[in-house]
Amino acid sequence: MSQRTRILIAVAAIVLIGAAIIGLEMLRGRSVTGGAIAGEPTVAPGGVPIYVDGRLVAGFTPADLSQLAEASFADAAEGVVQEGWLLSDILRLHLKTDPGPATQITVSSSSRQKSAVLTWDEVADPANQIMFDLSNRSTLKLVSVMPALDEREEWVQDTDRIDITTVDP
Amino acid sequence: MKARPFSTFQFILLALFAGLIVAAKIALKTPIRLPGHSGLFWMALVIVAVGLVPRAGAGSLVGLTSGILAGFLGMGDFGALDTFLSYTAVGVAADLAFMLLRNLDNLVICALVGIIGHLGKFAVKWALGAATGAPLGFISLGLAGSFASYVLFGALGGVLGGLTLKALRRAGFFAYLAERR
Repeated sequence: MSQRTRILIAVAAIVLIGAAIIGLEMLRGRSVTGGAIAGEPTVAPGGVPIYVDGRLVAGFTPADLSQLAEASFADAAEGVVQEGWLLSDILRLHLKTDPGPATQITVSSSSRQKSAVLTWDEVADPANQIMFDLSNRSTLKLVSVMPALDEREEWVQDTDRIDITTVDP
Repeated sequence: MKARPFSTFQFILLALFAGLIVAAKIALKTPIRLPGHSGLFWMALVIVAVGLVPRAGAGSLVGLTSGILAGFLGMGDFGALDTFLSYTAVGVAADLAFMLLRNLDNLVICALVGIIGHLGKFAVKWALGAATGAPLGFISLGLAGSFASYVLFGALGGVLGGLTLKALRRAGFFAYLAERR
C-alpha cells in the first residue's frame, strides 16, 4: 500500500469519526421534554428544563444565550477560567418575578447523580458568580466562587434539570 | 515469528513520557479557552514517545500508564474512569494511526497521527457522556466546534512532536538510543 493511500485512509477515518459522532448526537438530541400536560411548555432538544414546585415552566435552551450576558472568573483551585452564563440571569429570563430570598434552587445532573441546593439569595448575589460553564463536550457545568461550590468535586457537571421550590417566609 | 518484548530501557523511557504527560497537564496552563487545547503538548509528547520507541504498543503503553497516573491523581472533570479511558484512548488511537502511517519523519503524517490520537480522547469523552445519558450538545454547534478544535490541536501537537523528533535526530539522540537497545 502506498503512503498516499495510507494518508487517504487516515483522512477518511478522521472524517468518519467526526461524522459518526455529530450524526449520532443529532439523532440523540431529537427527544423533547414536556408537553405531556396541557399548558406545559416543551423544552427543545439539549435544553435544561426548569421546574417550579414540580411543574415544568420553561427550559434553558441555546436560543436564550443571545439574551444573556457572559460572565467569567478564574477558579481558585486550578486557575482555570470558567466562562458562561449566570444562573440568576437565566432564572430571571424565565420567571416573571424574582423568587423570595429563601426559595430553594436545586441544580442537578441525573447522569452524574449530583446536585447543588442553593437559595435565591445566594444565586442572586453577584459576588458568588454562580453560573453555567460550557464543558468540552458541550454540556453545562454549574460552577461558582462560593466555598460550597468552588471545587471540581462540588461542581455539577452535565446539568440536566433545575428545580425551584418555593419556601414560605 | 514471536514479537520481541520491550526492553527495560524502553519501558523506562515510555513510563517517563507517561509521567511527563501528566505533569504537563497539571503544570502547563495556556490562556487558550478552546476545547482540547491541551492536545498541543499532550500529542507532542505521545508522538515523541512513539517516535523514540517505534513499536506497536508503545503509544498504548504511554496512554495506559498516564491514564492510571491521572486517574489516581483525580484529574479531569468527569471522574477517574473518564480520565483513565481518555488518556488510554489517546495512546491506543495514536498507536493505530502510527501502525497505519508509520513514517514520523514526515510532518503531515505526524499531524495525522496527532489528530487521530487526540480524536480517540474526544470519542471516549463523547461515548461515556452518551452512555451515561449526559445531555451533550447544549449548543448544537458546540460538539462540531469541539471536534474541529480537537483536530486543530491534535495536528499542532503532532507537528510539534515531529519537529522535536527531527531535533533529537540531529542531536544524535537516536544513535544513543540504538546503543541502549
